[in-house]
Amino acid sequence: MIKIKQLSKKFGALVVLKDISIEIKAGEVISIIGPSGTGKSTFLRCINLLDQPSGGSIQIDGVNILDPKTDVPKIRQKMNMVFQSFNLFAHLSVMDNLTLGPIKLQKKSIKDAEQKSMELLRLVGLAEKANNFPDELSGGQKQRVAIARCMAMEPEIILFDEPTSALDPTMVSEVLAVIRRLAKEGMTMLIVTHEMDFARDVSNRVLYMDEGGIYEDGPPERIFVNPQREKTKAFINRIRNLNYHIASPDYDLYAMNAEIELFCEKQVLPVKMRQNLLLVVEEMLQLYNPLLSTISLDITIAYSEKKESLELVFDSLGEEVNLFEQNELPDEFGLNIIKNLAENIEYQRLNNTNRLSLILKKHEK
Amino acid sequence: MNIEASKESAAMVVTVTGRLDAVTFSGYEQKINALIAEGETKFVIDLEKLEYISSAGLRALLATAKRIKAKSGQILLANISGPVKEVFDLSGFGTIFQLYDSVESALEIVAG
Ligand SMILES: Nc1ncnc2c1ncn2[C@@H]1O[C@H](COP(=O)(O)OP(=O)(O)OP(=O)(O)O)[C@@H](O)[C@H]1O
Ligand SMILES: [Mg+2]
Repeated sequence: MIKIKQLSKKFGALVVLKDISIEIKAGEVISIIGPSGTGKSTFLRCINLLDQPSGGSIQIDGVNILDPKTDVPKIRQKMNMVFQSFNLFAHLSVMDNLTLGPIKLQKKSIKDAEQKSMELLRLVGLAEKANNFPDELSGGQKQRVAIARCMAMEPEIILFDEPTSALDPTMVSEVLAVIRRLAKEGMTMLIVTHEMDFARDVSNRVLYMDEGGIYEDGPPERIFVNPQREKTKAFINRIRNLNYHIASPDYDLYAMNAEIELFCEKQVLPVKMRQNLLLVVEEMLQLYNPLLSTISLDITIAYSEKKESLELVFDSLGEEVNLFEQNELPDEFGLNIIKNLAENIEYQRLNNTNRLSLILKKHEK
Repeated sequence: MNIEASKESAAMVVTVTGRLDAVTFSGYEQKINALIAEGETKFVIDLEKLEYISSAGLRALLATAKRIKAKSGQILLANISGPVKEVFDLSGFGTIFQLYDSVESALEIVAG
C-alpha cells in the first residue's frame, strides 16, 4: 500500500531522517516509538507531505507522491493525520468540523456529509455533542472529534502523532479505546506514541526509531520483550526500570520519591501499590543509612506487567553483610513493614556486591 | 509536615499534618521537646491529617512518648486511619499505644 524508499529529511544542515525504507501493508497497525527528537513526527509529516522530504520516494498504491504533478490535497485525503493538539476549527461546531472536508474537498452533498458525520460521532460516543463548539468539550472529547473528523474523509490510512500526550491522564483511555476500535475494524494506522502498554497491545508491528531512521522493526512481542539491537534494549529497559543511585547519607528522599512517582505514573500503577513502594524503599534506605557515608547504593525498580509485581533490587559494594539479618535498627518496625509488604526477600553475594532483592505484590492483603 | 499545638484545659493538642518520615521526624521531636521544656506533660497527638508515616516517624512518636512518660506525663494518639493506620498495623506499632477515635475522647481520658 505504501512503499517508502530511502526517504531523507534535512532542516538546513540538520539531518533528521536518513535513508528510511519501509513497506506498509493495508490493515497494519504500526506503533512508532523512540526517544524524543529522533524524527518520529517528522517522519509522519513527510509521509503526509506536511514536510517536504529532501530525498527518496514515497509510493502510495503505485503512485509516487513526491512527483511535482501529484495532487497533494488528494493524497492527504487518503492519509489523514490526527495531531497531539487536536487542531479542530474553533469557530465551527463539531458537526461542521466533520462535514467541512467532505463538502469542500469531496463535493459531497450536505445531507450525505451530515448523515455520515453523525454515524462517526456515534462511533466515538459523541453524537450528542454535534452542535457544540470545540471549546465546550474536554480534551478527550476534542481528540475523539478529531479522530471522527479524520474518518469523515474516508482515509485509507490514519497517521496519529501522540494523540494522547496533551490529555489529562483521566482522558487517555477514552481516546485509546476509539483507536483500538478502529484497529479492530481493520483500519491501517501509524501511531507515534509514548503509551507503551497501548502500543504493545494495539499494534501488530512496532518501529523503534533512533539515529535518524528505523532502528528496529518487529512485532510487539519482540520489540517489547526481546529486542535485538542495543539501543532498543536500552530504551525498553529505561521504560520498564527505574535506576536510582544514592551516594551519601544526606540523599534527597523527596527527589527520589518524585522519580519513583513519575515511574509509577508511566507504568500506570494503582495508588496503593505506589504508596507501598514508596514506604518499602524508605524503609530499605533506613537499613542502609549507617553505611551510606562509606558505600554507595544502586536501586533498581522493575515492573513486570505480566506478574503485576514490582521487583526491587538494592546493590552495594563492600564487605559481605546481609542487612536483613545484621543491622543497626533500634527496633523492628521498619523490618516488619518490609516483611509484611514484600515477598521473596532475598540476600545474595555477587562478586564483591551485596544484593538485597524483594518483590512487591500488586494485590497484597 | 506541619505541626500545630493548641492548649486545651486537659492537655496540649498537637496536630500533625502531611508526612512523618525520615526527613520530617526530627522536626516533630523538636517541637514536642520544646513543649516539654515549657513544662507541658499531657499530650494528645491528633493524626487525622497525617498522610504518610514510616518507621522513622513511628520511632519519633515512641521516643517522645518515652520522654513524656519519664516526666510522669501522658501522651495519647487520636484519629489514626487510612494508610497511617495500615502502617501502624504492618509495623506492629499499633499494639504499643492505646489509640483513640477522636481528640475529644482522648481529652476525656486525660481529664480522668
Ligand atoms: N521545522 C523544523 N525546522 C527545524 N528543525 C526541525 C523542524 N521540525 C523538527 N525539527 C528538528 O528535527 C528533529 C526531530 O524532530 P521531531 O519533532 O520529528 O522528533 P520526535 O521524534 O517527534 O520527538 P518527540 O518525541 O519529542 O515528539 C529535532 O531535532 C527537531 O528539533
Ligand atoms: Mg514528535
